[in-house]
Amino acid sequence: MLFSMVSRLPSDSLRKAAFAFGCLLATSATEPRHLGVQVFNQRGLPLEGAVVEIARPAGDDRAVVFPGRSAMAQRNETFVPGTLIVPAGATVAFPNLDTVRHSIYSFSRIARFQIDLYGADQTRSRQFSVPGTVALGCHIHDKMRGYLRVVTTPYAARTDLNGMADIANLPAGRYAVTVWHPLGMGRDGEWHGTIVLDEGHANRLTIETR
Amino acid sequence: MQRAARSRARLARVRWRRVLLWRLNLQARVSLNIAGLLIVVMLITVGVADYGLRLYAYSIAQRDIAAGTGLVERNLASRQDEMRSAAQVVARDFGFREAFALNDRRTLESALTSLAGRAGAPLAMVVSLDGTATANPGSTPIDGQAMLAALNAGRNGGIVRTGRTLSLAVAAPIELPDLAGWLVLARPLGQRDLDQLAGLSGLPIEAQAADKARLDPDLAGQAVGSIDHHDGRDGDQLVRMSALPSLDATLQPRLILRYPLASATEAYRSLRMDLAAIAMVAVLMGVLLGSRLTRGILQPLGRLAMATAAMARGEMTRVEPRGRDELASLARSFNVMVDAIEERERRITHAWLHDGLTNLPNRRFFQEKLDRAVGRRGPDSRILVALLDIDDLSLINDTMGHAAGDALLLKFADLLQRTVPGAKVCRFGSDEFGLMLENLSGDTDLSALVDDLARKLAIEIDIAGQVIPLSVGFGVAVCPDDAQDTGTMLKNAELALGRAKADGKRGYRFFEATLDEAASRRRQLEIDLRNAVRNGEFELHFQPLFFPAQSRVKGFEALLRWDHPRRGRVSPAEFIPIAEHSGLIIPISEWVIREACRHAIGWPDAIGVAVNISASHFRVPGLVPCVINALSHSGLAPERLELEITEGVFISNFDSTLDTLRQLRALGVRIALDDFGTGYSSLSYLRAFPFDKVKIDQSFVRDLSTDASARAVVRAITALADALGMETLGEGVEDVAQYDALICEGCSMIQGYLISRPVPGSEVGAILRKWDQNRSGRRVG
Repeated sequence: MLFSMVSRLPSDSLRKAAFAFGCLLATSATEPRHLGVQVFNQRGLPLEGAVVEIARPAGDDRAVVFPGRSAMAQRNETFVPGTLIVPAGATVAFPNLDTVRHSIYSFSRIARFQIDLYGADQTRSRQFSVPGTVALGCHIHDKMRGYLRVVTTPYAARTDLNGMADIANLPAGRYAVTVWHPLGMGRDGEWHGTIVLDEGHANRLTIETR
Repeated sequence: MQRAARSRARLARVRWRRVLLWRLNLQARVSLNIAGLLIVVMLITVGVADYGLRLYAYSIAQRDIAAGTGLVERNLASRQDEMRSAAQVVARDFGFREAFALNDRRTLESALTSLAGRAGAPLAMVVSLDGTATANPGSTPIDGQAMLAALNAGRNGGIVRTGRTLSLAVAAPIELPDLAGWLVLARPLGQRDLDQLAGLSGLPIEAQAADKARLDPDLAGQAVGSIDHHDGRDGDQLVRMSALPSLDATLQPRLILRYPLASATEAYRSLRMDLAAIAMVAVLMGVLLGSRLTRGILQPLGRLAMATAAMARGEMTRVEPRGRDELASLARSFNVMVDAIEERERRITHAWLHDGLTNLPNRRFFQEKLDRAVGRRGPDSRILVALLDIDDLSLINDTMGHAAGDALLLKFADLLQRTVPGAKVCRFGSDEFGLMLENLSGDTDLSALVDDLARKLAIEIDIAGQVIPLSVGFGVAVCPDDAQDTGTMLKNAELALGRAKADGKRGYRFFEATLDEAASRRRQLEIDLRNAVRNGEFELHFQPLFFPAQSRVKGFEALLRWDHPRRGRVSPAEFIPIAEHSGLIIPISEWVIREACRHAIGWPDAIGVAVNISASHFRVPGLVPCVINALSHSGLAPERLELEITEGVFISNFDSTLDTLRQLRALGVRIALDDFGTGYSSLSYLRAFPFDKVKIDQSFVRDLSTDASARAVVRAITALADALGMETLGEGVEDVAQYDALICEGCSMIQGYLISRPVPGSEVGAILRKWDQNRSGRRVG
């Protein structure tokens, strides 16, 4: 609830303040807990648009659900949101909110497809069953880039401007972690490692990007 | 040793240089100098021009090579652009991207092969993000890892290494839509391609592309972007080094452009030749001009030098002045100088050979003329030479002034020339003239001729309003009768003149052989006379001076006797003139004064001694000191010494003579006037000086008995002397009649053989004694 409220906040400074407030709440309350992971690139700059995925601990059966609609819209010749996290098997809609037509394609290994030109206010949808990354382009507009991150863990979040990803409902402990970024240097743009999550402790990760 | 050698070397060098300088005449020297100067100037000019041209060519080459580099680089870039656009088209192709995304190797390879064929590039390949490369089969692949850094940095073209050669490569990104790799096309960059590119510029440049690591060491050091000057195998060249973009991290490709300077300077080589040709022509023209100029100066100078040399030889030459320049003016000045020299020489010659007053030839010229006349004399012809002497010229000079004397000489010269028209007349000296007549035939009556001459010269001449009778004596000698040569002839004429003068004034004499004998006797006597003074051959004899009033001897006149060792006694009439002429008279006279005083001191106090003093003695100083000396030496009282002088002492210098006489008189010495009545017998002399005694000349005494007029003269003289308070003495008294007559006419003293002949000093005492005995009653008789 709070998360969705936060995500809807319009300004950065307010969001920061709310996040600080949230953190305060997390430390003070036992349920639900929010853990923050901040991602930097090798130059020490906060990395925006990275997806932090923490592997599901053994015995965890929490459903893989992410707030918001599983849709990658096109508005002003841009994919919105640029990076979308969806659980494996989800169907993602591609609504065209522009007045021009788009033709979306993907050469990604987990999902190769091409959607022929479709017009304004038309929606195409497609199901993604294999976890991984789908890089989306448009044949008409070379500048358009969109990414779908298909995951199997409920503990995944996208970093904001400050490189901060907010992971909820996870107890403190040691976890395998995967960080993806379109410019990541690892295979398929992924970085794999472990992370010790600790309440009230800043969890910093540094990955190499191009 | 070393120093001597060095100085010798220097001397040799100096001498050689001098020889070199003297050898070259002025013309060659001037031409050489001009040529040298021109050569230096031309060398400098050509050098500067050459340097400027080289500099210009160098800058042109620099500009060209920079332009060429730009051209090659632009061409390379445009080739890359071409390839890149082809690559980009392919990289964006959906099918190609799909094949790449599927990682379908075979499909990809076949796609690359077809792309390579289409793009005209031997190599087409894809490089994935991790550096793995896939190329068209059969091509030489490139190391993908080496390119990764450049590709990641976003470079889209550059040089790569394909095997051993370099290639021009382009890269186009493959985006799916994210960057997944690069499509690379490469085409070898062979020497042919580079030559073709360089050829496009139209410049003589060579292009080369190479890795920096493989460059020659001398090129490897050259900075990128610089232009260096290299001495290549094919001559000097400019080398420009520039960097080419590289896609390979291990590669530093360089573009090297070479520009041979020879081709840049080639265009100016002909210009340099032209300059050299101009310089040579200028030098030649300079030499020609210099030699022409110097010839213009030196030819007139040479003519002047030759004229000067001719003048030195005594030829009077002149130079023709040409033109109006300084040299012509020099030539004119030279001519003026020659004229002046000639005129002066003529005047000097004239003065040398002529007499200044009368403008007649002088003795020198006369001798020359006589020489010539003797030389060309025919066998039958004769030459007559007369030497003429004007009597009493000095008297006229003294009494009437030298202007009058000169006027007399001029009139005489004129007269002489008019009287004998064919004669050559000359002036020998003060009053001596010469006259020559040649081509006289054998039968010419010379006596008549000379007589005629004498008669015509016996005239009166008017000088300054005063008429003076001309008195000329001359001697004549005839060639070949008297002499064969000039010298003898003149000498003989002179002897004849001497004889004529001796015979009396206004006469002439022909030369006779006896004259010559007499002359030589005189010369011998003169020699002997000198010896006589030294050897003491003189002796004094004394003749008593008788005083009839007291019938006693009052004194003696000292008379000089010369006993010649060979000839015996020589007459004073013969040797006294010689002594006068030769100047020996002075020492003789001084001896006489001393000797007379020495004798007189041995005589009684009342007896005096009289000494004859020559007129010559008054013309030289020393008479008064001599008398003082003789008196003081002997101790003789001055009034016992009597000096006898003739009127001649007054002729040469009246005033100084009078002065001398007064000094002698002041000593107390008595002065007597000798031989009175002959010569000038000027009564003014008697007035001028108060003589103590006047001696009446014996010519009057001789004629006393026969000639009444002589008696009158004697009477007049005694009367005059009495009136002036002077004693009178009659000389040469030989008989009683004369004695009586003199006493009768008032003469106070007598001298002569009647009383006694002159006796040696030893007999003076005897005479005195004899007359002391006689004094009582006896008269002279």
